Amino acid sequence: MTPTTSIPVINLKGIKKSFGLGDAEIFALDDVNLTIDKGEFVAIMGPSGCGKTTLLNILGLLDNWADGDYELDGQSVACMSKRKQAKIRSRQIGFVFQNFNLISRLSVIENVALPLIYKGISHTNRLVMASNMLRNFHLNEREYYMPHQLSGGQTQRVAIARALVNEPSIILADEPTGNLDSRASHIIMEELSDLHKRGNTIIMVTHNPRLTTYASRIITMLDGQIDTDTKDVVVETDKTVKKRPLGSRHHKKTTHKIHKTKRKKK
Amino acid sequence: MRFLLINHIQNARQSLKSSRVRSMLTMLGVAIGVASITAILALSSGATKVVSDQVDSLGGNLIVVRPGKNIDPITDITQTQLNRNYTTSTITETDIAYIKGVKHIQSVAPLMILGGTIKADSVAPNNPPIIATTPGLADVSNLKLREGQFIDTTTDQNTVVIGTQLSINIFGTESSIGRTLTIRGHQLTVIGVLKRIDNPINYNSVDFDNAAIINFVVGKKLNQNVAQIQQIDIRVDSINNLGQTVADLNKIIKQNHAGEDDFSILTGSQISQPTSQLFYAIAGVTTAVAAISLVVGGIGIMNIMLVTVAERTREIGIRKALGATNNDILWQFLIESLIIGIVGGIVGYICGYVVAFVISTLLPFDPIMNWQIAGIAITVAIFVGTIFGIYPAIRAARKDPIESLHQYN
Repeated sequence: MTPTTSIPVINLKGIKKSFGLGDAEIFALDDVNLTIDKGEFVAIMGPSGCGKTTLLNILGLLDNWADGDYELDGQSVACMSKRKQAKIRSRQIGFVFQNFNLISRLSVIENVALPLIYKGISHTNRLVMASNMLRNFHLNEREYYMPHQLSGGQTQRVAIARALVNEPSIILADEPTGNLDSRASHIIMEELSDLHKRGNTIIMVTHNPRLTTYASRIITMLDGQIDTDTKDVVVETDKTVKKRPLGSRHHKKTTHKIHKTKRKKK
Repeated sequence: MRFLLINHIQNARQSLKSSRVRSMLTMLGVAIGVASITAILALSSGATKVVSDQVDSLGGNLIVVRPGKNIDPITDITQTQLNRNYTTSTITETDIAYIKGVKHIQSVAPLMILGGTIKADSVAPNNPPIIATTPGLADVSNLKLREGQFIDTTTDQNTVVIGTQLSINIFGTESSIGRTLTIRGHQLTVIGVLKRIDNPINYNSVDFDNAAIINFVVGKKLNQNVAQIQQIDIRVDSINNLGQTVADLNKIIKQNHAGEDDFSILTGSQISQPTSQLFYAIAGVTTAVAAISLVVGGIGIMNIMLVTVAERTREIGIRKALGATNNDILWQFLIESLIIGIVGGIVGYICGYVVAFVISTLLPFDPIMNWQIAGIAITVAIFVGTIFGIYPAIRAARKDPIESLHQYN
């Protein structure tokens, strides 16, 4: 692990997660080691079924894992009670989903205020905070719209507003632009990028390689393992490879080499 | 937590509103159950109150001696007063003589209730009770006369005092003094008509409006010269002497019965007890029936809550992802079912009283309103809401957030 002066936001050590039993056992995550520092914008890429969503769910404390250790803000998560985990989800983690996941029978502002309920904030304060957050996204005129009255891009912006309203330390986005056209995608990515610039930690799962240009670090996954990591490239430049600019077209090649060497070591 | 509770209530209200018809039908299920329980309790306690009020109005200085040991309430209900007509009473005429000798006694009246047809211009319907007693009954039971006089020892023995309703039934008029009627072939002259009491339920188990009161001697003659005493009503001169008198009576009758404890002396609320017990038993049985309808209503709640939970699986997933604990989810759904129960209960309580008052127009007593019945109604409603809501709520709370998020609406 990279020695850093500050405690990393996320520190995964040898995380394993499997589905099925016996011969049919499939490792969705197989010995994943990952450290994410505060303020990083991480894009997780990879083919379907490589375990990136599972990883995101584990990071968001929604899923359990079989083996390994997960430290969030220096605290080990495994030994926390479900209640404590829910509290962390409420205070430290913001989710953005592919299919937006707004509650359809609640208005926009109520949806944004939803995470604040579980923080124990009074109704009026919740609405004030939600309203302020919506203003940041230029949605304050749509506060009392119902989710189905919004366009896809607007809905996702509401979802991002909801993820941000309780000022989380990490934002987890699972294909945030998966259901959007390119223009709306662009707007959403600009928003996320903007959040990143303001110092938020963002972890995003995506299929779309073009979106990785917004990210500060790109992780590709394959068969439940981290295949390449641009940060590793940076770190390991001293030893093996030359440092390449982020989002460079050739980074895949280089990292592939690293990958091979890693395998050989094993 | 307080904010959460308020939020849960708002949330439940919103969700119940969003499927209005469904919620109303579910509430109706509970409401019917609670309504029937309320109506039954209101009416039965009304009936009980009639009797206890009478005893109270007599000033509490009333003693009733009944044949047989005071047995347990269940047997008391199954062996109704009527059946005692056919068994030999353990209380005899000699007992009366002895009782009259006890200190502090104001008046004594033995009650011998006979059956038989009463004939005059027409035959009395409904098998009216024929009470053979002594003049003391007027004083003991506070009987007021509309006109004429009560039976006494000085006038001719073949006289009768009748209730207003009986007078109308057989003579077609309320004023029937001087006319004759026939009981079991025995001719009697009407010397008095009782004031209408409108109280068929009383500790004498006699509807005085529809009764014929004859002299004890005549009654005995009609009953093959056997004095079949169902009950002796005794009035004590003062309530302070009640305890002493009861003890004296107990001693003297026991002595007279050769030490056999085959009678019971009742005072105060004991007098109204058999009647109350009977009503409580009826109420109990009907309440059990109502309870079944409540269970059905409760199953309705459970059913609807399970549907709601299934419908909102995704919402549960979202809420959990946003930081809801299992308990938060549990309460969210439990409060929803509780609201169904409570609203159903309140509606049922009101409907129950409407029903009770409608039914009471056909009955000689009014339903009672008291906080106990309200308490029972609301407790039952909360109980049903909780018991049948807890399982769906637990199911909701235990849902896996990831699977829930993958469910599409």
